Amino acid sequence: MTAGSAAPERDLTTDGAATERDMTASDDGQADSFELDRAAFEAAGRRRRTSDRVRRIGAYATLSLFVVISVGPALYLISPAFRDSVSLFAYPPEWIPRRPTLENYRFLFRNTEYIRWGVNTAVYATGVTLVSLVTNSLAAYAFARLRFPGRKVLFFLILSTLMIPVAAVLAPTYLTVRTIGGWPLIGDWIDLDTYGGLILPSAVSPLGVFMMKQFIETLPGGLYEAAKLDGASEWRIFRKIVLPLLKPALVVLGIFVFMITWASYLWPLVAATGDDYRVLTVGIQSLNGQFVTNWGVMGAAALLTIVPVTIVFLFFQKWFVQASMAGALKQ
Amino acid sequence: MAEVILRQLTKRFGATTAVDDVSLRIPDGELLVLLGPSGCGKSTILRLISGLEDATSGEIAIDGELVNFKDPTERNVAMVFQNYALYPHMSVSKNIAFPLETARMPKPKVRDAVARAAEMLEIGDLLGRLPEQLSGGQRQRVALARAIVRQPLVFLMDEPLSNLDAQLRVQTRLELTALHERLGITTVYVTHDQVEAMTMGRRIAVMQSGRLQQVGAPVDVYRTPATTFVATFMGAPPMNLIDGELRADDGRWQFVREGYSLDVDPAVMGIEPAALQQSAGPVRLGVRPEHLTLAEPAAAGIPGIVQFLEPVGSDLFVSVGVGEHRVQVRMPPDAKAEREDAVRVSFDPARSHIFGSDDRNLRAGLAR
Repeated sequence: MTAGSAAPERDLTTDGAATERDMTASDDGQADSFELDRAAFEAAGRRRRTSDRVRRIGAYATLSLFVVISVGPALYLISPAFRDSVSLFAYPPEWIPRRPTLENYRFLFRNTEYIRWGVNTAVYATGVTLVSLVTNSLAAYAFARLRFPGRKVLFFLILSTLMIPVAAVLAPTYLTVRTIGGWPLIGDWIDLDTYGGLILPSAVSPLGVFMMKQFIETLPGGLYEAAKLDGASEWRIFRKIVLPLLKPALVVLGIFVFMITWASYLWPLVAATGDDYRVLTVGIQSLNGQFVTNWGVMGAAALLTIVPVTIVFLFFQKWFVQASMAGALKQ
Repeated sequence: MAEVILRQLTKRFGATTAVDDVSLRIPDGELLVLLGPSGCGKSTILRLISGLEDATSGEIAIDGELVNFKDPTERNVAMVFQNYALYPHMSVSKNIAFPLETARMPKPKVRDAVARAAEMLEIGDLLGRLPEQLSGGQRQRVALARAIVRQPLVFLMDEPLSNLDAQLRVQTRLELTALHERLGITTVYVTHDQVEAMTMGRRIAVMQSGRLQQVGAPVDVYRTPATTFVATFMGAPPMNLIDGELRADDGRWQFVREGYSLDVDPAVMGIEPAALQQSAGPVRLGVRPEHLTLAEPAAAGIPGIVQFLEPVGSDLFVSVGVGEHRVQVRMPPDAKAEREDAVRVSFDPARSHIFGSDDRNLRAGLAR
């Protein structure tokens, strides 16, 4: 609508032919030239509208393709999760189950440790989220605000660990946690097959430190200086001034960390050997039999696993938007 | 309440010298205005006194105590920032209470102190609001309240009025002066606005490029600027400076330029004969616009051509082309003048100044 009505106006300057005709015709009379203009404008407007439509169709086609690629697999989960194992392999494939069933869920809760895994995952993800928010923001504050020797080198070192894949440090991490597990007292809390052992390696994340540092640096420096002159210690400035203002960033980082931890696989696979501390991702994988796999149960388990993360995200979505706005509206 | 002493204070940031060998004594209870263009180092001096920056060399003493190596938290100075730096997530009362709570003052005492400060600045009805819900003037008051609430030794104010609109600025200026008189706390006030400096400071210190140019009572600094910088920075329009040469003719000193010469009588112009001797050669003659007047072409004075007329209601500013210079003359609003008129610009030599080639005023009694 707006594109169509705006087009004739713009063509006054861009459509050279129309203006030229207008100039020659103006010798004869005003009304005539006005008619000529109108026709040229409308033709230009039609051209513009058609090209707009073509462009829009192209854009939607491309977007649809990406939606299918990214959302398709997730949707593909839903159908088998509500079908029995027989209809799973029916040909032609049965997209919408003819007789939907909850049998897969019943199996999941009765015959596997699914609930245990779920609790473990919740403790693991929540623990990592809370601990890492504290450590990341503290480290970020130090790097953003304190002046100490080696500050730049240290920060570079922390950032550079981003380049190292998780798999490469898996064995050292395993050995470290096992060693700590042998120590008195602390070993009761941090060991293989403990929550502490699951959480500790993810307790700080370089990306989190980086993100929080960037955010702290956007806070007006005057606040920090004012608080200093008001007699506040670094700790008090962090607690009373920086942390409250960091809330939107903390929420965003928290959601990221929670989602990543919820879906993490490699470390929990290694760190938890039995069902006691097994998490959902590892548990689902263990449903994969050596000879037979019940894809319906797998689907049901995977679907259930996605639900909490989705809820968390939807719940905090408002904060997400706010946090990005906070950056945009900086005074 | 305390005396502040700066001794040969220098601050370098890498290769640039922000504050260059500044010595200054601010007696107990005085309001000193640091005046200068942006980037002259005046804010850096505040930050040095507060401890937010460390001095490269030199000494800072507050209340007889060397504070160079004290943390800002321990110096007991309060600062009002240009952008107020209110804590955006705290209510007004929380903002004002923050320094007291930091000092672990008991709650009832905090409440009393906040109430008193709020009353003094007439913001008692705003205590529950957040900074974002306040106007610029109100924020300014909250920032002031937060500064006075803990009765600091020294007040530092960094262009506190520059974010206010013109009308509010005039009003707040008067209130700040009254507040200072009432509290009697030593205050260092930084501004680039010469009107603020003239009206607020008991003494003003004019700075340029990190160096102190002149310190003195506003009127003295205005009347007898120590350097050409002060002469042109203070006053709107600034003091007129006219190039010429200082020559001795039979023991009589003269300021000479093309088509004009002025007898320089050391007694009248307050210059030591020795100073004249030293500065013989190229100099500049300085006269303020209000001390100039237009005269007939036949009269004595500097010959020139009227170029522009600017009636501003209370005055008529006349721009006169004098050689390469454009001289501003302040005339009464009903003065008769036309563009292209050939005129003479005359003045009382006692009110004129001669600046040597080092840009310093030759007038006696100006140390440095």
